[in-house]
Amino acid sequence: MNGWELLLDGFAAALTPGHLLWALVGVTIGTAVGVLPGIGPALTVALLLPVTFRLDASSALILFAGIYYGGMYGGSTTSILLNTPGESASMVSALEGHRMARSGRAAAALATAALGSFVAGTIGTIGLTFLAPVVADFATGFGPPEYVALMAVAFVTVSALLGPDLLKGIASLVTGLAVGLVGIDSQTGAPRLVFGVDPLLDGIDVVIVVIALFALAEAFGHVLAGTGGSTVEPVRDRVVLSRADLRRSWPAWLRGTALGFPIGSLPAGGAEVPTFLSYSVEKKLTRHPEEFGHGAIEGVAGPEAANNAASAGVLVPLLTIGLPTSATAAVMLTAFQSYGLQPGPQLFEESGPLVWTLIASLYVGNVMLLVLNLPLVRLWARLLTIPAYGIYAGVLVFAALGTWAAGGTTADLLVLCGLGLLGLLMRQAGVPVAPAVVGLILGPIAEQQLRRALTLSEGDPAILISSPVTGVLWAVAALALAAALLAPVLRRTRRE
Amino acid sequence: MSGVAEPDRRTATACFGGLLLVGAVLLVVDGVRLRGAAPGAVLGPEAVPLAVGVLLGVVGAALLVRALRTPPGAAAETSGRSWLRVSALVAVLVAFAFLLGVLGFVVSATGLFVAAALLLGAPHPLRVVGYGWALAALVFLVFDRLIGLSLPAGPWGF
Repeated sequence: MNGWELLLDGFAAALTPGHLLWALVGVTIGTAVGVLPGIGPALTVALLLPVTFRLDASSALILFAGIYYGGMYGGSTTSILLNTPGESASMVSALEGHRMARSGRAAAALATAALGSFVAGTIGTIGLTFLAPVVADFATGFGPPEYVALMAVAFVTVSALLGPDLLKGIASLVTGLAVGLVGIDSQTGAPRLVFGVDPLLDGIDVVIVVIALFALAEAFGHVLAGTGGSTVEPVRDRVVLSRADLRRSWPAWLRGTALGFPIGSLPAGGAEVPTFLSYSVEKKLTRHPEEFGHGAIEGVAGPEAANNAASAGVLVPLLTIGLPTSATAAVMLTAFQSYGLQPGPQLFEESGPLVWTLIASLYVGNVMLLVLNLPLVRLWARLLTIPAYGIYAGVLVFAALGTWAAGGTTADLLVLCGLGLLGLLMRQAGVPVAPAVVGLILGPIAEQQLRRALTLSEGDPAILISSPVTGVLWAVAALALAAALLAPVLRRTRRE
Repeated sequence: MSGVAEPDRRTATACFGGLLLVGAVLLVVDGVRLRGAAPGAVLGPEAVPLAVGVLLGVVGAALLVRALRTPPGAAAETSGRSWLRVSALVAVLVAFAFLLGVLGFVVSATGLFVAAALLLGAPHPLRVVGYGWALAALVFLVFDRLIGLSLPAGPWGF
């Protein structure tokens, strides 16, 4: 069977009433939770993970795809109306979008964000459809050495890209690696870092860590700061694009998509770089440079499209190699694992119908989101008027629920609280938490592959650079590290 | 983030660096204990923890040194009251962890909601109790009754 037939089969499965319902539920709660200020897509997915524990795998993954895309749409509404981007990738759309909202053009900003997300999401999903099988095919030849090299690339780029500061990024990554070591070693059965505390033998559940680092840290941060009031910009007009706005928006959407998808689908991508790139490209190409900084519509359209295209792109390494390159993707990987599915080249062979149903439901979810968002955006904006105390008290209840669902013991709730304090400290110190999540998830896999590789070679480390693919990957990792080390030096010399 | 004051990065960075050093010691101590646990293996269970421990120590020390070398900035010192509020929330969460099995989900979650909302500066305590109860009951109905996640029921069945 070729790709088209597989995709059509996927559509046939995704378009059954039951699955359509789950997609609708997913995009609705994804949008609703994503709209809440301070709650980005990663946290949205983590908080809603336990919702799906009782569903069968395909319904759950469809629900998740909806939540993933819905969280992205909801997040852009928040950054435009409230200027509190839930994650760094939507920071850029807040830049121009919030200024547009302040000058009374909220409706246009929301419309270009929603339409741009739809265009980019659809093109990105098409890209995913064609690229994923090719990459999966290529990756079937990967052995342990290739995986070790891939993880090295991911570690370097994640700690260099997902934060302002390489040292703090590495600190976060290593913290995640250390937490990932707790529990029984899967190969020898030796308990590690348990110190006689029995509940730690099973390790610390990734879901609990994610909820603690994102949700509890956020709530603690607000308690520490004493919540200030925030002002929501009103949406005055109907959310439609004028002809002039459309003319300025669509090239920006396409350019954003062209940047977002390829970079997002690299095993080192993430969504931050393409959104920032897209912003600077739009700023250079615009015919209205005077508007930048005061609410230029291209400055919303481009980055928003780049962000959504990149989130479709991120699914390529996630599904085909099992490599998450953003915090949200890392949480999605956990969702897969909780169903006993290990993303990677085998996923397409073993669970092909499931993967294609998932991809088809991404198209469906995108259409639903457009329908939900354009006419209903005022309703979503109303959610922004929920006072902060209500949101964070509610987040705590859901965090407790999620932890209980994932672990189900008092010890899990205590671990949640302790890690929440760690998250608070990281926030206060300006240490990004996303590298910790990626390190926590990839660390054990990297260790397993490394030990497997060295067992194969009977201890000879040369096996790690034995194939051309590994050579290229290690070179990429070294280059990325060098670039991250040199960037501040170059910036300083240029300034002087 | 708007609404959240610029935190005192210097102290927090120093604390985080210190914490990483503590973690490094734990990892190395545990790693040394594990040596020889799997004699046949090429790379035993202690190798990666030792490496991560050393890295943790280096990064922690670097953060600590960097924080101590930056001059104290103009960032507003977080007041003692704020830390008191955080400690109170920690106490509430610990209490929740232990009372959940005794009092059941709805009552404990209502308590958690109300306590957290009041610590966050909610104005009307009675209304907050209403919201909290409604949310907790709704969550219980949807997740326990509808989805089948079994939540602790307490002596009164919810």
